[in-house]
Amino acid sequence: MQHDSASSGGAAAKPLPTISDYNRPFWEGTRRHELRLQRCSACRKFWAPNGPVCPHCFSEDYSWDKVAGRGKIAAWVVFHKVYHPAFAKDVPYNVAFVELAEGPRIIANVVGVKNEELHIGMPVEVVFEDVNDEISLPKFRSAGSKA
Amino acid sequence: MGNLRDRAAIIGVGNSKFERISAEVSPLVPLVTAFKNALDDAGLDRSDIDGLLVNIGTPFGVDYDQVAEAFGLNIHFSDQTWTHGRQMATVTAHAAMAVEAGLADYVACVCSINWARVGTVGQHGQWQDDREIGGAHFEHPWYGMTSPGAAWSMAAQRYFDRYGATSRDLAEVCVSTRKHALLNPEAVMRKPLTVDDHQQSRYVCQPLHLFDYCLTVGGACVVIVTTAERAKDGPKKPVYLMGMQGMCAGREEATGSRPGLGIHQQDENYPVPHPRDLAVYRMAGVNHEDIDAFYTYDAMSSIVWLSLERFGFCKPGEAWQFVKNGRIAPGGELPVNTSGGLLSEVHVSGWNHVCEMVRQLRHECGERQVPNAEIVQWGTNRGDSLILRR
Repeated sequence: MQHDSASSGGAAAKPLPTISDYNRPFWEGTRRHELRLQRCSACRKFWAPNGPVCPHCFSEDYSWDKVAGRGKIAAWVVFHKVYHPAFAKDVPYNVAFVELAEGPRIIANVVGVKNEELHIGMPVEVVFEDVNDEISLPKFRSAGSKA
Repeated sequence: MGNLRDRAAIIGVGNSKFERISAEVSPLVPLVTAFKNALDDAGLDRSDIDGLLVNIGTPFGVDYDQVAEAFGLNIHFSDQTWTHGRQMATVTAHAAMAVEAGLADYVACVCSINWARVGTVGQHGQWQDDREIGGAHFEHPWYGMTSPGAAWSMAAQRYFDRYGATSRDLAEVCVSTRKHALLNPEAVMRKPLTVDDHQQSRYVCQPLHLFDYCLTVGGACVVIVTTAERAKDGPKKPVYLMGMQGMCAGREEATGSRPGLGIHQQDENYPVPHPRDLAVYRMAGVNHEDIDAFYTYDAMSSIVWLSLERFGFCKPGEAWQFVKNGRIAPGGELPVNTSGGLLSEVHVSGWNHVCEMVRQLRHECGERQVPNAEIVQWGTNRGDSLILRR
C-alpha cells in the first residue's frame, strides 16, 4: 500500500496526520527515518500513545528518544470494506499492532508480506515511506529471525 | 449515602419502533414515542420527571437541553454522557444516586440514536484524538485504520491466536443471539441464521464477518428511575437495582478487548476476573449461579466472550467453548441478550437491553420469557455492570 503523493489534494487523497506541537518531534523524527517515542527522564520508560506526562510515574520530564524500530506483531486485521475512498484500490490491506522491543505497542501497516503470511509474534522492523516533503510514515516489514 | 443495594428501582421503560430511518429525521422524533411509552409504563405524567440523563448527544443522538425544551419538561437535574455507547450502566447508576441523594424524584434516562445521521460509521477517517464521531477505536486513517469494528477485530484475532478459537466458534454467538431475536417481534433481524450463513458472509474487517457486526439503524429507549419507596406507588412491579458498577478506564482497558488480552497497552498478565470486577456481586449479595440471564454490549459478537470471561462465568480463554451447545440461546443454562441484543434487535447502545431486562423480570416477555426470571445481570468487557431483581 503506497501513499501516492501526486494524488494528495485530490478527491481521493489518503488522509495524512496533522502535525501539531503535541506530535511534532515524532514526525520530525520519521522525516529523518528515525522512530522516536516519548521516554520518561525519571523512570526511563517509553510510552505510547503521545501524552503530556509519563503514565507510569506521572513525571512531566521527558524526551523524544529513538527506538530500535524492531518488534513483533501483537495483533493484525485485514480491511475488506472500503471506509475511505482513497483506500479503494488497496483492499484487502492489513493494519497491525506492533509491539516494539521497548514495550509500547503502536499501529501501522506491514509491507512486503502477503496478508496470508501475517501472524501474531512475527518479527518486524520499521521502514519509512516518504509521502511528501513533510510526512514520512513509519511502516513495518518482516525482519526474518533478526528481532 | 452508603450501600445503594435495592434503594432505587426502575419503574418504567419504553421504546420506539426500531427501524432504518432517513438521515433527515431528528432522533427527537422516535424519542417522543419512547418517552410516552415509558411514562405510561410508570403511570407518570411528564410533569413528574425532574431528572434527565441523556446518553449520546448530537449528531447521533439528541442533547439534554433539546429534549427538555422540545418535550416541555421542567428539569432540575440533568447530565449528558459522551457521544459513544458504553455508558448505560454508569448512567443508570447515576440516576439511582441522584434519587437516593434527593437531587431528583423521577429520573428519565434517555437514549435515541439515528445512525443514518453520520453515514457509514468509520468512514470519516478521523485520527483517534477526534472523539466526536470516530475516534476511541485506535483510528489511524493514514494507515486505513478506521471504524470501531477494526478495533474489535484486532482483539478477536489476538483471542483466536491465544486460545485456539476460530471465526466458526464465534459464529455460535451470532446464531444464539439470532435465535433470541426470532422470538422478539420488535427485533429488526428476524431471519434465521446458521453457522454456515455466518461463515459465508463477507469479511468487513478480517477476521470479523458481516454477521459479527451489530445493526446501525435507528431507535430510542427511555428508562425511568426513582427511589424504592416511591416505586411502590407505581402500576407495575418495581425492578430493583441490587448491584451497580461503572465503566472502567485506564491502560488495562482497550476498545474491543478485555484486560489481560494484550491489545493496545494492556498487560498480558493482568488477572481475569479481577477481584474489583466482582464487586457488583458483593454489592448485590448474589453469585453467578443466581443470575437467570446475562446481558452485554454486543456491538460485535466477540464482546460476549470477553464479557463472560471478565465477570468470571468461565475462565479466560474458555468462553468460546462455554457458549456452545445452546448454553446462551433460548432455553439455555445462561441465556444471553434475550431480546436479540445489538446484533439482532437494535443498537440503542445498551438501552434496549435494559428495557428487556426489566420486562423479563416482570415476566412480560411471552414466547421468549426466561422461566421464573428473578435476577438478571448486565456486564461488559469494560467492567461496567448492573444486577437487577424483581
